[in-house]
Amino acid sequence: MIHFYSMMADVDPKSFWNGTNNSPELIAMIAITTILGFIVLGFLMVAPIQLRKYVIAAVTFLSGLFYVAFYLFPVPVGRKPQDVPANIVESVGFWISDTQPVVANFSNIIGGFLLGLGIYSQLHLHIRRITRQQTDWGFSVVLIVSMVAIVICGYGDWIMRQGPKGSELQLQSKWGLLNYGSDLLFDGLLQQMDAAMFSMVAFYILSAAYRAFRARSLEATILLIAALIVVLSLMGALEYVWNGGINNLAQNDANSFIQNFRLTDIAKWLKDTIQTPAIRGIDFGVGIGLLAMGLRLWLSLETTGGNQ
Amino acid sequence: MADATTPEMSLGEKLQALPKWSLYVVLVILTSVPLFAKLEVPNKPVEASIDFYGKIMAVPDGSRILVGSDWTNSTRGESKGEMKVLLRILMRKNVKFAFYCFDPQAPQVVRDTIREVNAERIARQEKPYRPFDDYVSLGYFPNAEGTCNAINNNLLAAFSGKKDTPENSGPKDVFESPVFAGVKSVKDFQLLALITASSTNTVTLERIKKIPLLFMVTGVMVPENQNYYASNQIVGLAGGLKGVYDLEQLMEHGINNPGPEMIPSSKWGVVPGFKGALNSGMGTAYYPTLHFALLLLIVAILTGNVGMFLAKKQAKKGAA
Amino acid sequence: MDYTFIKMTLGVLATVGLYSVLYRENKFYRFWEHVFLGLASGWALVILWTETLKSTWWDKMLGATNNSGQASVMGYWAYAALLPIGMMGYFVFSKKHNWISRIPIGIILGMYSGQQIQVWWNRFGPQIDNSIKPILPTSTASFFKPGTSGLAPDAVAKINSTVYPSQAITNIIFVVTLLSVMSYFLFSFDIKSKMLKNTTTLGRWLLMIGFGAIFGSTVMMRFTLLIDRMYFIWIEWFKMLVLRQPG
Repeated sequence: MIHFYSMMADVDPKSFWNGTNNSPELIAMIAITTILGFIVLGFLMVAPIQLRKYVIAAVTFLSGLFYVAFYLFPVPVGRKPQDVPANIVESVGFWISDTQPVVANFSNIIGGFLLGLGIYSQLHLHIRRITRQQTDWGFSVVLIVSMVAIVICGYGDWIMRQGPKGSELQLQSKWGLLNYGSDLLFDGLLQQMDAAMFSMVAFYILSAAYRAFRARSLEATILLIAALIVVLSLMGALEYVWNGGINNLAQNDANSFIQNFRLTDIAKWLKDTIQTPAIRGIDFGVGIGLLAMGLRLWLSLETTGGNQ
Repeated sequence: MADATTPEMSLGEKLQALPKWSLYVVLVILTSVPLFAKLEVPNKPVEASIDFYGKIMAVPDGSRILVGSDWTNSTRGESKGEMKVLLRILMRKNVKFAFYCFDPQAPQVVRDTIREVNAERIARQEKPYRPFDDYVSLGYFPNAEGTCNAINNNLLAAFSGKKDTPENSGPKDVFESPVFAGVKSVKDFQLLALITASSTNTVTLERIKKIPLLFMVTGVMVPENQNYYASNQIVGLAGGLKGVYDLEQLMEHGINNPGPEMIPSSKWGVVPGFKGALNSGMGTAYYPTLHFALLLLIVAILTGNVGMFLAKKQAKKGAA
Repeated sequence: MDYTFIKMTLGVLATVGLYSVLYRENKFYRFWEHVFLGLASGWALVILWTETLKSTWWDKMLGATNNSGQASVMGYWAYAALLPIGMMGYFVFSKKHNWISRIPIGIILGMYSGQQIQVWWNRFGPQIDNSIKPILPTSTASFFKPGTSGLAPDAVAKINSTVYPSQAITNIIFVVTLLSVMSYFLFSFDIKSKMLKNTTTLGRWLLMIGFGAIFGSTVMMRFTLLIDRMYFIWIEWFKMLVLRQPG
């Protein structure tokens, strides 16, 4: 069984797959693997056109197959780390189960590398705009300067916090320029602007509701009434007044039938009896679509999005 | 539609043609002025919030939970309030926690919120929560799907190699933290509380099956998550600002705690509150103001509809 | 002027700058918009290494030694293969070789789609189970569920476990809503059956109630986010910092 990961204070035993930190053999193996990886990449660059779609289909299928096997292969309930597999089926089940976190880690790493894609794309676009002095290229300078500033301050701050005096930086009095820069750019600007950007929708939603939320048809009227009941039920003060009125009508008898007409209960009934199954119906529809799309992606049958 | 009204316009048309800037100005006023007034409004916590409070209070003092945090300041108004409520309860119960994130900005946002709650505790001469000893950061994971599967399947492998920084030393392996003492699997955590503003709610409930799930979600996610709550896939739900205010009220009054402001529930016995502690937060500060904004929305919708009916009536009259 | 004042004032300026677009598109807004985009992508670049690749890739590949120079974590060289795979993604910018970028994307998509079979049941199984509700009453002693206030726990439990006619009707509405909304979704093609047509029409009406609830919740969220910004500007900055008054 391959243990790619280390656990707690136990050091994994030496095997073909691992090596000690900074040991020549580990560094050599890393170098060989990287070079081999790039050689494969070189081969892919000269691969015949007709082979391409099979390469992508195979990679996608095998990646998906792992998780299908992970779901289908049984692992004993309550398996302990020291348990040994009883037969070949269990061996495969154990291997898949033990390898899943590593595969998950691989997907995190690949996802991490791909995260840089968007950043590279943005940089590429704005640098081109600056070099060609296109319209509003000054704003591209602002973007690049902001990006570079937070990268320098962010990394600087992180490196200082990793160092021997890193724990002291929990006190603001010990901060240097990079720590102040990181805090100012992240907390002072990025976080506030993030909040501001998303809060602006409130204005548009009010304006749109005023202009478009009209009882023009039966469907629109139902939508309007349901929305109003939910909005009213979110107003605790109104709910209090309404419920108080109902309570007075019921002469403070908690078991009176009329208590069913408290705003709280009407909204709850609507939520539990109609809203929940309606949302559930939507969810089922989406779920079936997702399952179908998942299968199409796995088997490379999905042709939309420029796959061909 | 034109923003400006003209003298030839009928009342119905005028009511439908209020300039958008006037709506914006009124909205700004109505969401600003009440904040200065420190109003208090009555509230009846919903069942999902009561269950959330009951479940989190049922976690034994001194034990541990897992926290998933997937929000940034883009939803600060709701998510930060939720996170602060959760942190206050955990810290008062001395419950240790480990948190992981699925958004690049989220780890720092969580650390900032913990720092804020710690500052509150220090101001009230309470013990602050120490990084690494009382809570540990597991960092950011770009692939939520695989990571959630790994947490459910083999938690130690999922978080292996992650480091966090204690108060008085350099970074250490997270498994050396007291939070992970004796942890072998996800089942060694009492529950998972997820504060999210994205689709990681479904990613989590589809994959993490071994411990109870508590969700704290944004308002727009409430109907979807109400569905999961109704089918017992999650054992408690705090949704949006209403959820935050519900929890702040529950922290003040508890559940079935005898008194004039008792919050009753037939599902729970007596669950204590934290009377006298700092329970009011963003929910208490924002909820009264929300009333004014919602009222404006209702008035705006009614105005538009009344305008439409008057205009239709007018048109019919004209045609006749 | 202290650091907190500078930091918060900059935050207020940025917020007002972004809000200025509500009036009309302007240069002040464009400036802050570009600052925002630059900071967001720059921060992602920081986190890419500090919170992800460093611990999940680099450290695992190289391992670690303790203070006495002995291995505390073994390094696994196979992680090195992920660098060329990750780099393949960047071929998206190559006109000639952009198909190579689909390999890492294929790995991620393959893993995602492979999980769908497992997660489908985990997500929808409990919902299907919960949707099967009793539609016949188990007691006709009372049409409505009697009030439980002041009753002993045993009596409350008995009432709660009984299906009264009103509950049965509620359950029928639940099941009808679910089925009709599903039929609206599933039978979106041209339908010949009149009954099915009526069911999908009912589904559309009931769906509107669901959408109404979503609208209500969305409004709560959006207004709360705006209230939060107003709180930041008026209370945290203006009242507490400028006027030096308690919040």
